[in-house]
Amino acid sequence: MNKVTITLDGREVTGMPGETILDLARESGINIPTLCHHPLLSPNGACRVCLVENERNGALLAACVTPIEPGMMINTRSPRVLERRRQIVELLLASHPDTCMVCDKGNRCELRCIASEMGVGMLRLERIPQYGAIVDANPFLVRDLGKCILCGRCVKADQELVVEGALDFLGRGFGTRPATLQEVPFEHSECTFCGTCVSVCPTGALRERDALTSGSTSEQVHTTCPFCGCGCSVVLEIRGDRIIRARPGTESPVNQGTLCVRGAYGFDFVHSPERLTTPLVRRGAHLEPASWEEALSLAASGLRRLREESGPDSLAVLGAPTGTNEENYLLQRFARTVLGTPHIDNGARLHRAPSYTGVGGTLGYPGTIGTIRDIECAEVILVVGADPAASAPAVAYAIKRAVTRKGARLLLIEPRRTQLVRFASLWLRPRPGTDIALLNGLANAILAEGLVDPDLVTTRTDGFAELVSTLQRYTPAAVASLTGVTEGELVQAALAFGSAARAALVYGGGVTRARRGTDTVKALANLALLTGNVERKGTGLYALQTRNNAQGACDMGAVPDFLPGYCSVEDSAGRQKFEERWRTRLPAGRGLSASEALAAAVAGRVKGMLIVGENPLGYFPDPFAVEHGLKCLEFLVVQDLFLTETAALATVVLPAASFVEKEGTFTNFEGRVQPVRQALPPRGESRPDWQILLSLAEAMGAPLPFASVTDIEREILELVPFYEAPSLGLEAGLPTREAEPWARRRLHERLFPSTFGRFLPVEYVPEEEPSQEFPLTLVTGSSLYQFGTGMRTSRSSRLSSLVPRAYVEVSAADASVQGIWDGEQVRVVSALAAVEAVAKVCADQPAGVVFAPLASPEARFNRLFPAVIDPQSSLPVLGHVAVRLERGRLDD
Amino acid sequence: MTEAGSASGAGTIPPGLGMDADNLHRLGQTPVFDPVRVEEVINRYRGKRWVLIPLLQEIQEVCGYIPPALIPRIAEAVGMFPVQVQGVISFYSQLHTEPRGKKVVTVCRGTACHVRGGRSILKVVKEHLGIEEGETTPDLEYTLETVACIGVCALAPNMMVGRTTYGSLNPSKVARILGRPKAASGGD
Repeated sequence: MNKVTITLDGREVTGMPGETILDLARESGINIPTLCHHPLLSPNGACRVCLVENERNGALLAACVTPIEPGMMINTRSPRVLERRRQIVELLLASHPDTCMVCDKGNRCELRCIASEMGVGMLRLERIPQYGAIVDANPFLVRDLGKCILCGRCVKADQELVVEGALDFLGRGFGTRPATLQEVPFEHSECTFCGTCVSVCPTGALRERDALTSGSTSEQVHTTCPFCGCGCSVVLEIRGDRIIRARPGTESPVNQGTLCVRGAYGFDFVHSPERLTTPLVRRGAHLEPASWEEALSLAASGLRRLREESGPDSLAVLGAPTGTNEENYLLQRFARTVLGTPHIDNGARLHRAPSYTGVGGTLGYPGTIGTIRDIECAEVILVVGADPAASAPAVAYAIKRAVTRKGARLLLIEPRRTQLVRFASLWLRPRPGTDIALLNGLANAILAEGLVDPDLVTTRTDGFAELVSTLQRYTPAAVASLTGVTEGELVQAALAFGSAARAALVYGGGVTRARRGTDTVKALANLALLTGNVERKGTGLYALQTRNNAQGACDMGAVPDFLPGYCSVEDSAGRQKFEERWRTRLPAGRGLSASEALAAAVAGRVKGMLIVGENPLGYFPDPFAVEHGLKCLEFLVVQDLFLTETAALATVVLPAASFVEKEGTFTNFEGRVQPVRQALPPRGESRPDWQILLSLAEAMGAPLPFASVTDIEREILELVPFYEAPSLGLEAGLPTREAEPWARRRLHERLFPSTFGRFLPVEYVPEEEPSQEFPLTLVTGSSLYQFGTGMRTSRSSRLSSLVPRAYVEVSAADASVQGIWDGEQVRVVSALAAVEAVAKVCADQPAGVVFAPLASPEARFNRLFPAVIDPQSSLPVLGHVAVRLERGRLDD
Repeated sequence: MTEAGSASGAGTIPPGLGMDADNLHRLGQTPVFDPVRVEEVINRYRGKRWVLIPLLQEIQEVCGYIPPALIPRIAEAVGMFPVQVQGVISFYSQLHTEPRGKKVVTVCRGTACHVRGGRSILKVVKEHLGIEEGETTPDLEYTLETVACIGVCALAPNMMVGRTTYGSLNPSKVARILGRPKAASGGD
């Protein structure tokens, strides 16, 4: 490509064809003021503040949209340019209300900044402010159209970044305004309150709604969002001891300037008055405040006594994916060396174990391969059993961008209508529990059409012959009758997926929570291997993580079957490495998972437990059995932010600091290690979990050799081969790693870790048919406004105010059979329990399937699930369960 | 089955969906259009690029206006967001989301007509039709609009009814042209 040379303010500068004058000027260090331009959005030349003059013909050009042409002589600050710019800003101000003194945007207003830079003070023009109604009925944002300068940033943020389609311009001339469809209020539009438009609005036209979060702040802290596994970068604006607002980090390759409603508005749970501020100890039937010394010595002596009396095997530890990598590492070291027990587990394993066994067994690396950016480069994206718009919004944005901006085709395998359906070119709706049959059917059709990647399959994989013989039975006709997906759709999907040059496979909780989730993951991995979609850019297998540090907690070895870095506990050579480093003997053999430990508690083999940041009563299936298990324990120590249902059963409760009150790192679902930075002092007497664990170790007479997070980080760097210090540089002085950090976790352009992949054929096993008594299948999933068990989101004032009452989605067909109408109170009854919810009648829902968000704080749907343990992953199954609906309330 | 179901649904506007719902209530009647033809038009353009404006024009020809309830279907056919389609419709003065009368009365408000009494002519027309500018009579016969000039200033004051131009207007001529009693006097 020939470079283009132009004269810019008397200097010859060279740029690439297609580059705009503005881009080239900024590269050359020349400042041109802009207002509507935003680096993350496509330019539209709306405001004309960036005017420059072409001295060859006297043309005034908007620098942000004019491409450079050979021979241009651009002057960016001729008197004529400066005068015109000034006029434009004066005109903007003339139709803007004169309320800067009381405007919340204050000094963050870009219009005001530009006016002051240009020296525009008193206006020569008559003011004709265009007042508009202030819209603030929703809990999240306030829109004051009087302050809108029609720059179009909010419209572009909506359509280009988060691709929701909630906003566009309406009308023309003076009447033009950004509006929703039919101008309905935001809460009735497509808007998901991601806050992205608010973060790009240059004036006070859009702002966060909350009198407390007003005005400018001086302190800003870059950290990582603690909700889902995407790991978005957020900038917290702090004043005093409060988070005033959260903005998306614009540099992050993960969220790329976007957030979701949880990240933008959900952080005020840290200020909740329900936070635990002092340790609590049980005196009789009550938990009463105590000093740290008392609580720690009580906890330590209780754990020590059990270890001495009943052996270390009588103790179990359950950690949480909300903790940092350092805390999870410390927790497993505490469990294995201080307590000496192999029974360590964490709540993330509930959703992740199928991934690491399934993908680990086939591709060799136990985790997601590829990055969010890779999803955006794919030609075909297959999403299986996931609703990323609710569970992992940043991934949903990437998928929608790929579809709308790059023409990717989206194939969905999902029983219910999720937000992504609008963007899908093909939507397959298999009966719940038949995913394996469908995936095998797809693989069979791909084989039949000859769309297999011959090079990869013949030279670098094994098990192909077994796979072919297994797949033979999954003919389109057979699969159609098993799954309810038509033969035509099946073959169409296979053709689309198999013939794509780059295809990405995304799966979520619908796969991993279900019975035989591990087998489903294997079937997905087989599909990716078969079509060669594993090693190149734009391809890959993506396991969505429902919880923020799920990847990290498992990487750090807070699991019963692996030491840090997925070193099997049964591998004696690997174990030796840790034994030498920790100068102790490690318990040999696999430990008990959390559910197994609770069962062992009932049997009297496990007597004491330490639970850090986890609330198993909130979302383990059959919580009554869990409660029974916890009550059977002689001694229970819980560290948490709040007095959860689980903490209420404890002997000692230790108050933990939240993510804004500690340092550390989180690993997102891509495997990216990102910093968590302290912004506030710990609330009350609460302490970070890592400090609590160190004090506890000391109180037990076995202090651990760490004094700070950095000390822990150094040891992880030494022992976990793929762990990286965050690229953003948490702590200077750490050993520097490769230039491309986490590259070693990736498969692009390189062999599988074990030099070959392995096909692991899996068979579909039919499940019992819905019975007469329980004719419907309840499918669970995530909800956008409530997260996890709702421990944090239900304590966020704005999130909790929009949460609908616990609901269950019913198909129109089932609703009419039962005479249930939309909004009616119903009981969802399984063989185990009943839960009360409001029925939402959905026309698109397939008959026989009802859906509910897994854990809403009002209705714990996990109660409906029997404690069935999947033998492959030793996980309780939370995928789907047979239920019936009854009209009326529980006490009717 | 679904196709037929949604097609028949397109003919009548579900209450509360259209932004003209209030207006329709005021008009007391719902304009009727042929759902099969609407369906045919949308499907003919489905999946093509750069077809939004001709598609909207054709819908307007079939229905007389663009029913807001059709916007999501149109958007889906051309691969856009409904809100984008709404933006395009609202930008062009030729596209309407409210029912229009069979005849559009366009009164000239240009300079020449103004000095020859154009303002009074507009007032008389309003009285005759019983509506304001931009409105449509309840019987869906007339829609009243104004325009800056229709190019026959020599005959000012002017107006157009449908595609016919009338010049040298006075109140009695207006009455003759519109051929209906004044709305105010003929109220009941």
